Amino acid sequence: MNSFKISVFTVWDKDENGEWHCTASWKTHSGSVWRVTWAHPEFGQVLASCSFDRTAAVWEEIVGESNDKQRGLSHWIKRTTLVDSRTSVTDVKFAPKHMGLMLTTCSADGVVRIYEAPDVMNLSQWSLQHEISCKLSCSCISWNPSSSRAHPPMFAVGSDDSNVSYGGKVQIYEYNENTRKYAKAETLMTVTDAVHDIAFAPNLGRSVHVLAIATKDVRIFKLVPMRRDSTSTGPTKFEVQIMAQFDNHNSQVWRVSWNITSTLLASSGDDGCVRLWKANYMDNWKCTGILKGDGSPLTSSSGPPMAMSTVVGSSVQMPQNSLNGMSAGRIGKRASFAPPVRQLGSSKIYQHPAHY
Amino acid sequence: MSGSKPDILWSPHHPDRYVICDSELGLYRIGPLGGAETKAGTLPLSEETAATLLAINSDTPYMKCVAWYPKHEPECLLAVGQANGRVVLTSLGQSHNSTCKDLVGKEIVPKHARQCNTLAWNPVDSNLLAAGLDKHRADFSVLIWDISSKFSPETSVASEKIRLSSVDLDSSSVLTKPLYELGQNDACLSLCWRLRDPKLLLAGMHRNLAIFDLRNTSQKTFVNTKAIQGVTVDPHFPDRVASFFEGQVAIWDLRKFEKPVLTLTEQPKPLTKVAWCPTRTGLLATLTRDSNIIRLYDMQHTPTPIGDETEPTIIERSVQPCESQIGSFAWHPSSQNRMVVVSAANRVMTDFTVFERISLAWSSTTSLMWACGRHLYDCAEDGTEGLENAIEKDIATKMRERALSRYGHDTVHVWRNHLLAGGNDPQLKSLWYDLYYILLSHMKQCAEDTELKLQGNKQSVVYSGIKNIVKTSSGTTESHKCWSGSDRQTDVTRYHSEERCLALRLCGWISRGPEIDVDVFLRSLELEKEWERAAAVALFNLDIRRAIQILNKGATAEKGDLNLNVVAMALSGYTDDKLSLWREMCSSLRLQLKNPYLCVMFAFLTSEPGSYDGVLYESSVAVRDRVAFACMFLSDAQLTRYIDKLANELKDMGNLEGILLTGLSKDGVDLMESYVDHTGDVQTASFCMLKGSSVDVLKDPRVQCWIENYRNLLDAWSFWHKRAEFDIHRGKLDPSSKPLAQVYVSCNFCGKSISYSCSPMPHQGRGFSQYGVSGSPTKSKVTSCPGCRKPLPRCALCLMNMGTPVSNCPGTGRSEEKMDLSRENKLAQFNNWFTWCHNCRHGGHAGHMLSWFRDHTECPVSACTCKCMQLDTTGNLVPSDSS
Repeated sequence: MNSFKISVFTVWDKDENGEWHCTASWKTHSGSVWRVTWAHPEFGQVLASCSFDRTAAVWEEIVGESNDKQRGLSHWIKRTTLVDSRTSVTDVKFAPKHMGLMLTTCSADGVVRIYEAPDVMNLSQWSLQHEISCKLSCSCISWNPSSSRAHPPMFAVGSDDSNVSYGGKVQIYEYNENTRKYAKAETLMTVTDAVHDIAFAPNLGRSVHVLAIATKDVRIFKLVPMRRDSTSTGPTKFEVQIMAQFDNHNSQVWRVSWNITSTLLASSGDDGCVRLWKANYMDNWKCTGILKGDGSPLTSSSGPPMAMSTVVGSSVQMPQNSLNGMSAGRIGKRASFAPPVRQLGSSKIYQHPAHY
Repeated sequence: MSGSKPDILWSPHHPDRYVICDSELGLYRIGPLGGAETKAGTLPLSEETAATLLAINSDTPYMKCVAWYPKHEPECLLAVGQANGRVVLTSLGQSHNSTCKDLVGKEIVPKHARQCNTLAWNPVDSNLLAAGLDKHRADFSVLIWDISSKFSPETSVASEKIRLSSVDLDSSSVLTKPLYELGQNDACLSLCWRLRDPKLLLAGMHRNLAIFDLRNTSQKTFVNTKAIQGVTVDPHFPDRVASFFEGQVAIWDLRKFEKPVLTLTEQPKPLTKVAWCPTRTGLLATLTRDSNIIRLYDMQHTPTPIGDETEPTIIERSVQPCESQIGSFAWHPSSQNRMVVVSAANRVMTDFTVFERISLAWSSTTSLMWACGRHLYDCAEDGTEGLENAIEKDIATKMRERALSRYGHDTVHVWRNHLLAGGNDPQLKSLWYDLYYILLSHMKQCAEDTELKLQGNKQSVVYSGIKNIVKTSSGTTESHKCWSGSDRQTDVTRYHSEERCLALRLCGWISRGPEIDVDVFLRSLELEKEWERAAAVALFNLDIRRAIQILNKGATAEKGDLNLNVVAMALSGYTDDKLSLWREMCSSLRLQLKNPYLCVMFAFLTSEPGSYDGVLYESSVAVRDRVAFACMFLSDAQLTRYIDKLANELKDMGNLEGILLTGLSKDGVDLMESYVDHTGDVQTASFCMLKGSSVDVLKDPRVQCWIENYRNLLDAWSFWHKRAEFDIHRGKLDPSSKPLAQVYVSCNFCGKSISYSCSPMPHQGRGFSQYGVSGSPTKSKVTSCPGCRKPLPRCALCLMNMGTPVSNCPGTGRSEEKMDLSRENKLAQFNNWFTWCHNCRHGGHAGHMLSWFRDHTECPVSACTCKCMQLDTTGNLVPSDSS
């Protein structure tokens, strides 16, 4: 209302010893930053962010403009600001790299926008390619990462509209080669509560798509593309199966994230816990770990044995104005799956497992 | 506030102490549960923390409100407002120093008795205490007292005197004259000092919200509103104030005081407490009566660049700290988002932390990172090995480890790859043995074909799996074999054909020739101490004596199982009499045998000829053994049916043992697809399918997709060396995947490639002979273009013309052997290579350039400021797998 909250970004790099260092920290948006995401390293060191201030921005790291290299700091400059949205931009995601350098945003007024940088060397040029209205306030978006030619480009949008009577809150859109437009292929009618996060599993050559949804519980859906005859031109039909549904968080689930092989799913909820889920060979999902948000293992309950061990960093009190900042970490910079993380944090951490 | 309604106050100085006041004051210390557990009287607050009661003070009846003295000294001084308007300074236990003594017991008495509604210490001038009272005719309702005023002359008085004489205490410590009197003819319901401006006092009066300025008491700023309860200033924004009325919270901006900037959605029940979080900006917690949830409002403020709609968005959230109804709560002054909650009845306390919404992400190396509050946490997969109940590692970790151990790269002893993979996965073991036998048979067939000068279209039959092999089976002969080494007369029907023989070879039972001789196989099984399996195989070859011998050997061997002797005895009693006791007992008791091979042995012995379901459908027996058994004892029709059924079953399950049946055919790809769908193990899929490169499976888009995904995985792990090795491996097996040359260096003058290796130009024949392919190729080089003889550019550092090494002409016929990049066979030392900056086009010898940029950031060419080495950030990274 009166105070200018400045959102600060921090980028953490991990060095050879596994220690994290803050290599950049800068002011970004004039509102809270909702999400931040990395582009594939093939396009350089590029980040995109979206904010309550109705914009999304693309950032690129520039090395060698000064002798900052010695201090271990790098420069990030804003390449573009995407101002098409009239409301808060709630999520931003890069499309899979095989589609080129494309960026998708979704906003609270229910519009998904797909931008493309026709020249990957010039990140200040973005053209709005598609504008898709989803009718419902959008909260999250996820691209299907499959690079298989058998799967046309596809993304899922989740809505945080809490009105149950509006029906399915997860919509799946697919690109149609003939019309050159994205068309709705599926609505998950069983998800009627507000959706906070959505994540397609890394496909890794699989023939089916797996989608994790964070709503009032964690849900995992399997989308099996129906084999269609070559004559039909409509969107792919999917056989939607629910593989798992967990209400262990006992509250709203806030985020879901897949590991690189999509064999582990992590979720965080309002209960302040991070839970890990894993499927066995027969596709039975179960909880393999519960971690409290502050890194301490859950003491009560005869929970399942932990598959993971935590090493917790020392606390670093951050200045007040960075409270709502964002930070992004990367491992060896090359990580195409580098973790964008929200909120400020401490450095340090990490112990090498024995097999390193 | 009614007397019984509890409230909580945190100590301003001790982060572990708080006071609960209901009918009495109770001071608690909060500590870890473990340490306090033994002590009596500790109350568990949460899973980790417990509270210990330090002191109780019940001296002051009719408590209405309490405020904690903000200064360090005296540390535990509380002002208690009572129903009759008196304010008593009291202390809780401890601290017997004099300053405290002076203040404790002091009473402040207003002129007219009425209820004291609220108290507030001035945060800076800590001797100022503001009290808000009910209305009493035209009297003032906001009184500000200076607790040190009356007091100062008496500091000289010896403390003993005060302690001894209670009369003295009473008279000297009653304060009746307030420093300021404000709010005439009004009632005051809530008070709050401005934090940055300690002369300003905010007061919720009867029907308005007022700001009093102590510098000018005659003047007050006020706004008429109903929301006058619980006035509280945001500790992060001194201009932001929250107050409430019934179920509605109003947020004010003191700079725009005319109307609330925001009203929060109305609650059905009246609110009882509203508090800003001291550790997080813009977080307001509210509590309504008779409720067990606390509502949190996270205010995200934005000065929007467009327009005037500056209404902040609010994220609403409810938390439920405990089951019972909440009486009150208090934010911890320094711990992040932590509060203590006390129940409305029975003083049940809960230590509760409101968790920030956690965002999380996996790294490519299976470590999970999440942000909680102001901390980042990193969590890695447990590396501890050797534990009995160690959970199976995730496939991502497995693949990484396998990539490091060169899994899949052993092309000579193909079966060894399962050892590289860790050697504990039966499916992988089966798969790599299958591939080993397939390649072995393939090589043998090739050898035979070349002997017979056949142009083999039979060539790929071994790749198509047993399923297809037995289908083509023709000329099956039956033979009746009797048991060897036994006096039994019964014959067992066995089937023979060339294809069945091949199938047995693929199963690994026999190694060569048309004759079925399992002796080699048996001996290798004995070596690996697989006694039961060996015995079963011997038995299936109708050699019951051998089976008994093997079992005996197994029983006597080191760590042998003596039960094997018992089994041997049971075997030796075999009789084909259908009604014998032996047969009856065997068929019932065999099901209790734990080892599947022992089980199938008796199943075989007790089964009717031609129906061996007990053997064929025993799923714990390896697929290869069951298939080999089927190839020996099932008729053509039965065999095809069985194999088809089994293959489909394995295909659906994605069981790699099924590769034996499907081979590296289209069916095999289907099976592998199912395996990848289940496990995500593209690594095994890629390597396995590359082995079948001589057939068309590699062209299947799914296979290409797996290979691409595996390469991406290696890249994501920064295993670039491994990726390059994989590409080389792939190039050998699948020549079509070889990438084309990416860079050509052409002469400035004639535009021709300066590389000798490129398509030999006719007029260069002389050049070739001159610079000689023979001899030591690394030493001979030229410093001019082989095409036009013009000199090549100079190195920016040594200023010598760069030379082209004479290459061995890869691309001509015999290049294949030269491809391995052992040091001697490299075209030239790396230091001699051309290198140049893509930006400024300056360059030179690679060695010189590297050593220059070790100490410099700018280009060595004078007046060029290009920071060549820093242009590509990826170039500075170290691969994770460099050895």
